Amino acid sequence: MTTTTYVDGVAPCPPRSGTLYDVLELILDRGMVIDVFVRVSLVGIEILKIDARIVVASVDTYLRFAEACNRLDLERDPSSSTVPELFGGSAARSIGKRKVRKAAESVGDTVRKAVGAGGSDEDDEYDDEYDEAEAEERPARPKRRRAPVSSSSGGSASRRRRAEA
Amino acid sequence: MRAEGPGTAEGPGLYVYAVVRAGTPLPRKSGGVGSPPAPLRTVGAGPVAAVASAAPVPLRPRRRDLLAHQDLLTQLAVSGPVLPMRFGMVAPDEDALRAQLAAAEAGHLAALDRVAGHVEMNVKALPAHDSLAALVAGEATVRRLREAARRRPGYEADVRLGEAVASALARRAGEAGRRALRDLAPMARATAGGSEVPGCALNVSFLVAQADSDRFRATAERFAAAHRDHVDLRIAGPLPCYSFVGTGTGTGTGAGPGGRSAPAPVGGG
Repeated sequence: MTTTTYVDGVAPCPPRSGTLYDVLELILDRGMVIDVFVRVSLVGIEILKIDARIVVASVDTYLRFAEACNRLDLERDPSSSTVPELFGGSAARSIGKRKVRKAAESVGDTVRKAVGAGGSDEDDEYDDEYDEAEAEERPARPKRRRAPVSSSSGGSASRRRRAEA
Repeated sequence: MRAEGPGTAEGPGLYVYAVVRAGTPLPRKSGGVGSPPAPLRTVGAGPVAAVASAAPVPLRPRRRDLLAHQDLLTQLAVSGPVLPMRFGMVAPDEDALRAQLAAAEAGHLAALDRVAGHVEMNVKALPAHDSLAALVAGEATVRRLREAARRRPGYEADVRLGEAVASALARRAGEAGRRALRDLAPMARATAGGSEVPGCALNVSFLVAQADSDRFRATAERFAAAHRDHVDLRIAGPLPCYSFVGTGTGTGTGAGPGGRSAPAPVGGG
């Protein structure tokens, strides 16, 4: 989280959750443009932008949401909305997060493939940079993701989680 | 501090970071884009000046370059108002840059006056993905579809459930985001709808007096904490005034497809 250097010297207040991703589109899409000047062509940028956010508009994403939703253990007390596991519970949180990151990643992969269809060493170079950024940005994030669990196994996964808890 | 000397790989062209008032000192420790960081210089024309460096070849949107751009703008802002350039603007040469500065001088000066003493605060409303349980608890439709999917598991049921979850997440984030906008706008001199960010329900920048930026952030954070089940509110700033540099010389504040630009003046307190 050392990416929040933009506050240095401007104000004493350090941002709580600011990262490069949070301001990426400002650096890239805002700011002054002078029409007669060249703007560097930034093919990779689209990838970075899309990877940085979760795209929620595909069946694949829906299935992942459904799976995460099915896994939630609401049975203990479905009528209460204040059960800690429901709201701050670390298990529920981490599951939600993992699902969503997985979704984001798979969408990013798809886009990367689509954009990189022209296939060149440039893309490889970009990917390297991207990975580096990823690694720095989210140090806690494991490099390898476990294989997606098929949505039909939601029940057993849920049971498994209950056992873990 | 003028450094005309060539760095490593640099081609023709000047990477332009910002327009400032003439006489604005360059931050001592900052370098530009490129690796190693290109030495900075100012290119002046009358009352305005551009901060520039040799453009590296190839110029790519690498993380360190984005940060170099951002950091330099931030440090320049310590000494006076700054009009940030969009990342990746390259002038053909110094003469062309001077000519442009001179031609747009009035617009630049007006914009510099407008942002002087102000910072940009950006607020994004993202779906509260971590609060799926709260969503299930609060959304009858989702609850019903979830029960249906459990009773009769299958692809169709899961798609329907997932779609309902996604749309409820987005709706809740949008609603909470608009409430946040209403709460925060009175503290800003102007607001600008940001570009569309995938997965982001609302993206708004606020032009806030520097003295008010702490109060703005504190208010936004209180709102975020109070509505965390509905929205993941991301607050960034103080930032260089990227979204408030429109001078008529370009398309600096051209609203993107998602730009829900509230009309600028909100009347500062």
